[in-house]
Amino acid sequence: MQANLSLLLALPLFGALVLALLGRRLSRPMVERLACAAIIAAFIAALTALAGAWGETRLVPLFPWFSAGGFSASMDVLYDPLSGIMAVMVTFVSAIIHIHSVGYMRGDESYARYFCYLNLFVFFMLVITLADNLAFLFLGWEGVGFCSYALIGFWFADAERTLAGRKAFVMTRIGDVGFLIAMALFFATLGTLSLSGIIASVSALSVGTATALGLLLLWAAVGKSAQLPLLVWLPDAMAGPTPVSALIHAATMVTAGVYLLMRLFPVLALSQAALAAVGAVGAVTALFASFSALGQRDIKRILAWSTISQVGYMFLGIAAGDLCGGMFHLLAHAFFKSLLFMGAGCVIQALHEEHDIFRMGSRVRTAMPPVFLLFFLGALALAAVPPASGYFSKGRILYATLSHGGGLFTLYWAMGSLAAILTALYTFRLVFVAFFGDPAFPPKTWDIEPLPRFMIHVLWPLGALALLAGGLNLPGNFSGAEWLSHALRTVPGADAEFHGVSELAVSLADAGFCAVGLFLAWMLYGPRTAPGRRGPADPERFAHRMLRSGFGLDALYRKTVLTPFLALSGFMRRVVDEGAVDAAFMSQGVLWARTSMAARRLATGRTSTYLLTFLLGLAAICAVLLAKGA
Amino acid sequence: MNAFPLLSTLIFLPLLGALATVLLSRSPALCRAAALGTALAELLLAACAIPLAADPGTILAENAAWIPSFGIRYALAMDGLSGLLVLMTAFLGVLAVLTSFKEITKRPGAYYAFLLAVETSACGVFLAKDLFLFYLFWEVQLVPMFFLIGVWGHEDRRKAALKFFLFSIAGGMLMLLAVIGAWLAQPEGARTFSLAALMAAPAAPHVQNWLFAAFFLAFAVKMPIVPVHTWLPDAHTQAPTAGSVILAGVLLKTGAYGLIRLAFPLFPDAAALSVPLLFVLGLAGLYHASLCALAQTDAKRLVAYSSVAHMALIVIGVAAWNAVSLSGAMLQMINHALTTGGLFIMIGMLSRRSGSRELASFGGVWKRSPVLGAFFLFFCMASAGLPGLNNFVSELLTLVGTWTGHPGVAAAAFAGAVLTLTYVLKLAQGTLFGTPAATQPEQWPDAEPLELCVLSPLAASILYLGFAPQAVLDMLRGPVSDFLPRIPQLFQ
Repeated sequence: MQANLSLLLALPLFGALVLALLGRRLSRPMVERLACAAIIAAFIAALTALAGAWGETRLVPLFPWFSAGGFSASMDVLYDPLSGIMAVMVTFVSAIIHIHSVGYMRGDESYARYFCYLNLFVFFMLVITLADNLAFLFLGWEGVGFCSYALIGFWFADAERTLAGRKAFVMTRIGDVGFLIAMALFFATLGTLSLSGIIASVSALSVGTATALGLLLLWAAVGKSAQLPLLVWLPDAMAGPTPVSALIHAATMVTAGVYLLMRLFPVLALSQAALAAVGAVGAVTALFASFSALGQRDIKRILAWSTISQVGYMFLGIAAGDLCGGMFHLLAHAFFKSLLFMGAGCVIQALHEEHDIFRMGSRVRTAMPPVFLLFFLGALALAAVPPASGYFSKGRILYATLSHGGGLFTLYWAMGSLAAILTALYTFRLVFVAFFGDPAFPPKTWDIEPLPRFMIHVLWPLGALALLAGGLNLPGNFSGAEWLSHALRTVPGADAEFHGVSELAVSLADAGFCAVGLFLAWMLYGPRTAPGRRGPADPERFAHRMLRSGFGLDALYRKTVLTPFLALSGFMRRVVDEGAVDAAFMSQGVLWARTSMAARRLATGRTSTYLLTFLLGLAAICAVLLAKGA
Repeated sequence: MNAFPLLSTLIFLPLLGALATVLLSRSPALCRAAALGTALAELLLAACAIPLAADPGTILAENAAWIPSFGIRYALAMDGLSGLLVLMTAFLGVLAVLTSFKEITKRPGAYYAFLLAVETSACGVFLAKDLFLFYLFWEVQLVPMFFLIGVWGHEDRRKAALKFFLFSIAGGMLMLLAVIGAWLAQPEGARTFSLAALMAAPAAPHVQNWLFAAFFLAFAVKMPIVPVHTWLPDAHTQAPTAGSVILAGVLLKTGAYGLIRLAFPLFPDAAALSVPLLFVLGLAGLYHASLCALAQTDAKRLVAYSSVAHMALIVIGVAAWNAVSLSGAMLQMINHALTTGGLFIMIGMLSRRSGSRELASFGGVWKRSPVLGAFFLFFCMASAGLPGLNNFVSELLTLVGTWTGHPGVAAAAFAGAVLTLTYVLKLAQGTLFGTPAATQPEQWPDAEPLELCVLSPLAASILYLGFAPQAVLDMLRGPVSDFLPRIPQLFQ
């Protein structure tokens, strides 16, 4: 087991190191093969690990990292069904994305750097997945942040892209402060950072501490998972190569926050306030982001906002105490969203870097039927059309939320359901506009570049999973076996049962919401709608401006945080540091110089002056002595 | 007592090398060879001393009467902390010599002599066990550094050198008074400068306050702690690359070392009283320096301010005075030397190519020299405290340790991590990315073999201390458990 897990972590790291040190000396096919082989081998290692320790929870020490004065951080692996399944998903999706990338990056000079970062990213993501110690987990947590930064700004000659990367890094670092403080608080209260140790002694935490920890962890998760209020970096993160968006900004890294909350769910569960906060973040973000997705024209930005919205559902699932539902949706989303992104990447590349869905139209579908079909499968899952995977995974979360009871969670359910209608609407707006009818605006070129076939066909496994992954946890009333719930039952906190409302009724309602969304999309953007009416809304209209800009949140942050912050920084430099502190010292220097100039006048060289001052001094001393004596 | 005077050799070997370079000053090549040879020998010697220093069984010390009438002794000792700092000094000494090969053409004999002389004085500071001897080495540091900046520096070197000298001497003068004060405060007849004796019998609390204040001011100037830091940006900006490396890596550390080794244990009552002040100064320094760093346009100045911000964490960690925070603060001394040294070296390499230190004169460095670009990003990330690299370990230990007694201070310092990242990314953005500035010359070679010889060991040590810092932390365990109980007011 230890060898297997070491291999799982070491393979991607080894790939990255070799590429970093030798990448420029290796031939292109060599680089590509090495990178893909490392991940495929890691996938096999993840599978054998899962098969070998099915249903078990094991703590596997790899090596001690550092310890001092009672504080200890070690690189240990907590292997249980949750981390095992997550590791399989991460390596599986990554392997497909690696192979797809070979095609996507075929024209790029910096392939060695690209695959190096990609391998490194998988390593860090696996660290998050497998770590037992929070400090070790943080290694992966910050590591994926760095890879994300490096890959968003991969085409660094374009300053816009590197600035988007910088924004992502800083925004997630703002969240990470919560993680760091949570680590300190765990150490101060429980004396350990080991996940298994924390969960074993979780009853020692008071409710107040648990609330504080829950909120800190939520803050960390909100940054990484691009939830309100720290979500503004993700839409800009689309500046990176599209397979990167699929891997990092859809399938894996943005779910790290969800995963962290799942790992530490027993802590959250102690505090109703923390859970309610998690739910509020999830529900509001799901709704907020699905509205924003409606206002976008860039195919990748639509998908980016939809990611934010779908991750919101996962938060909601955790808040409702449904770890299994959260994980179910995480897995299904990983499959269909990476599929959608890579499908979008195919479209973008074939259309010579065209991102605007209003310049696409039916020519895309007729020129690339397999891409359309794959994209369509992903869209079915995203829109939660039964029986695609998203229908069951999202349905499970909404069911858990409603059966949690209480006014607050009923409200969350209503928000989630409204967001479900919007999801179906924006998804099929995208499908109809990008793949049907004539483009509303003339494309820059009508030429469609043929793509290497393997980069399309490697997506079929994801297409199948997008459609069928509902089978992972088919609910009882669909005569399903609830495989995932069964598999996760030993994970702390994942044994919740839900009662109170009929699951069948909620499922039917979900199907109804989806149908409403589809109907609206058909009416507004369907192929039968007049081309003039299908076009984008007037960009000047207030409502459209709000949706397109994500309710102006980014501009608000720029105005209220970034600008004052930069002004403060300039003020501290010019006025405080140079103008006050340094000037005070420098003027002291001038003062000394002046004083010495003044004192120099006393050195006249005339005996009379010296005698006079001598007598004055003598008189002064006598006066003092007299005063003392008296 | 060991038969071979290892510690004295460590201190005076560089001075011997300095003498050699002066004698060989006719031939620049021989100067370089002599300087490199000395620096390497010093490194080898320090590396040999490390196992002895790490072993609690052996006591590495020298002690001889020097000026008996004042109770002054030539007393040296090396424990884990001193050993690591000496090793670090020797390591940076080699790198400093190597980086100077290309950069320094003017009077190399004198230059290398001064560079090696700094090593002597720093090793003396780190090893002295007699207060007077410590003071002597402390003040001697000033002289070679003053000339390094003032003679071999950049355009505004004279002013910067003078500023450095005046700030330091002001602190040093007060310390001299306090050294005498500490001596006079002892009962007549039993007066000594022995650190062990002084620590065993601290002065009366009201006397301590004055003495501590003087020592603290001297150390604060050197570290530097805001607000007595303003000499540092000028000194760094104007110093030659090797000067900046030694300044950040070695000289600043003598200030932090003095705080931990002398100011706190010698004056425990005063130190305990000063804790709130230290927290305020530490936090203010962290935020002030980070914000100032962000507003810089000169790359070297930006790194200089980042250096002040990183040193502020040491102040916080020392003030928290517990095993975790103190281990972190000590480790941070070494880590800061490596990361900041790495950044200064790289900026030296880049500005030698672009002819300017202004961020605006860089841009697109990755495009023009990907190997240098990768190294630069690596050092930037180390400075930003990315886990897996060195700074993370020490900063986490420092602040987690601080949290246990002072959660508010630690939380504020944790939040400073965001500021750190903003200025580090500004540095990376300005140099590496975007399109190359129009002012850049045609000639822009990627890393040369000599440069790789400097950068690779630095990067390797950063990675080593990021992934396997335990050996170093084990060395620090002895000193930490030795220091902690000396201030019972702070240590339960």
